[in-house]
Amino acid sequence: MRTFRIAAAAALLGATALAAPAHADVKIGLLGGVSGPIAAMAPAMIDSANLAISQVNDAGGILDGQKLVGVVGDSACNPQNATDAATKAVNIEGVVAVVGPHCSGAVLAAANSVTIPAGIVIVTPSGTSPEITSLKDNDTVFRTVPSDDFQGRALARTLLERGTKKVAVAYLNNDYGKGLAESFRAEFEAQGGEIAGYAAHEGEKASYRSNLADLASGGADTLVILDYGDGSGLTMLRQALENGFFENFVGADGMKSDAPIKELGAENLETFLASAPVGEQSTSLDAFSKAFSDIGGDPSAIFVTTSYDAAFMLALAIEKAGGDKAKVAASLREISNGEGEPILPGEWAKAKELIAAGTAIDYKGAAGEHNFDEAGDVPGAYALFRVSGNGFEVVSEMK
Amino acid sequence: MDAMELINFYLVPGIVVGSIYALGAVGITLVFAILRYAHLAHGDLATFGAFLALGVVTLGGVSPYVALPVAMAVTAAVAVGIDRTFYAYLRERPKIVTVMASLGVALMVRAVVQIVWGVDSQTYTRGIVRPENWFGIRIRDREIVTVLAMIALVVALQLFLKYSKWGKAMRAMSDNPDLALLSGVDNRKVVLLTWTIVGGLCAAAGVFLGLNYELKALMGWTMLLPMFAAAILGGVGRVEGAVLGGLIVGIAEEMSALFLPTEYKAATAFAILLLMLLVRPTGLLKGKVL
Repeated sequence: MRTFRIAAAAALLGATALAAPAHADVKIGLLGGVSGPIAAMAPAMIDSANLAISQVNDAGGILDGQKLVGVVGDSACNPQNATDAATKAVNIEGVVAVVGPHCSGAVLAAANSVTIPAGIVIVTPSGTSPEITSLKDNDTVFRTVPSDDFQGRALARTLLERGTKKVAVAYLNNDYGKGLAESFRAEFEAQGGEIAGYAAHEGEKASYRSNLADLASGGADTLVILDYGDGSGLTMLRQALENGFFENFVGADGMKSDAPIKELGAENLETFLASAPVGEQSTSLDAFSKAFSDIGGDPSAIFVTTSYDAAFMLALAIEKAGGDKAKVAASLREISNGEGEPILPGEWAKAKELIAAGTAIDYKGAAGEHNFDEAGDVPGAYALFRVSGNGFEVVSEMK
Repeated sequence: MDAMELINFYLVPGIVVGSIYALGAVGITLVFAILRYAHLAHGDLATFGAFLALGVVTLGGVSPYVALPVAMAVTAAVAVGIDRTFYAYLRERPKIVTVMASLGVALMVRAVVQIVWGVDSQTYTRGIVRPENWFGIRIRDREIVTVLAMIALVVALQLFLKYSKWGKAMRAMSDNPDLALLSGVDNRKVVLLTWTIVGGLCAAAGVFLGLNYELKALMGWTMLLPMFAAAILGGVGRVEGAVLGGLIVGIAEEMSALFLPTEYKAATAFAILLLMLLVRPTGLLKGKVL
């Protein structure tokens, strides 16, 4: 029996050793807030990244016909889990690059403690904090979503244009909420608006009535909630509506979640507006939308375009870098710098040929052109949404 | 700010959330008094109870009040099962081992909730409920029910502990386990009874939390600290102390918004816990254990 076991173990070991070089999968990490406050958004984002991966595999695979594999990790939208998930992805799974994490605080923690030291490129599809711009990252941290600095300012200008001159601001006390709130306040005040209440709150508390009473005492009838619609943002919105603290509510991308509609009812959300980044209409967006609808996804869900682009661009960069981790960052800039043969979402076979031939390519993403600036950021376009039926509809573009 | 505003937006929410803390703290204090360890899975067991009630509500189409006893019964059974499977085995080992095991149980229970019910925020009933106006005091029916149910459960528990045979046995175990054993108190039955009561209280805390706010996979875990603060504040091992502690922590959290920037609200429970351990570690009503 003993001999048999040893023999079996040896055979297994031999088999893996033999098999490894021929089928070595190329792994990329998909770190996302599967649990935690953005759990309602994460599945669609991961699905769209997986769409990019399956398109790569269906069209001949990556490098020498190897399979691209997405390793999902739960960064839970908090720094500790993100660090754990990133450590596992980098050190145990041996990923070449990472899509994610989803939340800003998670991105900062994972980048500072894991991926920057390891020299692994990460591309976050939804980490929007202005803090990410100033990371000392040796050019390894990118994002396919614009910084909230743009969003906070655009939201402030749009509200003033709509005639809202006096607001109270409640923001979640993390990197996302704080960054957004600061840029919103700066622009709103600079353009002549009045901030009648400005307070941070901790997430996951049961009652926010005293916070809301405090904010309402400033006399504003509009509350700007910079939080997550599936977390404490929902609790705040509910308690503000139930107690009549404010009449109008404005959120940013984090609040554009299905949870408030599902739990509070669209009929109670007539005075609720939310801003979010939008992909500008383009053939790229159409190509993505079609492919994502075909696998049963909702192309208008938040951050699916950016997630898809992040995964697809990393695949292109890995291909271009020949699988060398150290060259992924430079390649990522090369495949999308505005020069070369345009590549649309899903055109993997064409891109692979061009890369093999040494021709420059330029990826035109579903969410935008993605020509990274020096900090690895992209400029963005935003729209203001309102609740309609059981979803959101665009009210206006935001400048 | 006038008095009505103070009552409506600071005192009433404080009492409601305090009642929920109290229900949890009573369970924590019972485990502390009789089994002598800190039970870290308490919050997640409450989450489990709350989601169980959600299951009953969605499957049976009944109101959460009807689902409450069902959830309490099932959670009690689960608590007993957890004790049999994990804690009984560690009974003779140092207590810290069981405390660590309960942390593991907390993660397991949470994972089960996440697998079965998902990770989205959910509610028992869709939509919003505006409060009724009672002579200027704005209060919802469910808030009155929460406070009344807390009082009823605690009074029933006190009567049971004081007058019934098994209640006396539990108190004997808490006062002096060795003497109780020598006097013929059945240790196993007392443990079983303790977990039945604790499981039921956990579920009640979870259901009322979900009823007044939202159901989230992490709802119980985030309540753990205030619940422990309440139990220690009231005096560990004292049921009435836990209730008092729960109400004080709840009201202090809400009132803190008057004096402190609101982002420090969550730290209020921490501050109370620290201050109490420093100044009077036995708690307001002299605790039996610490």
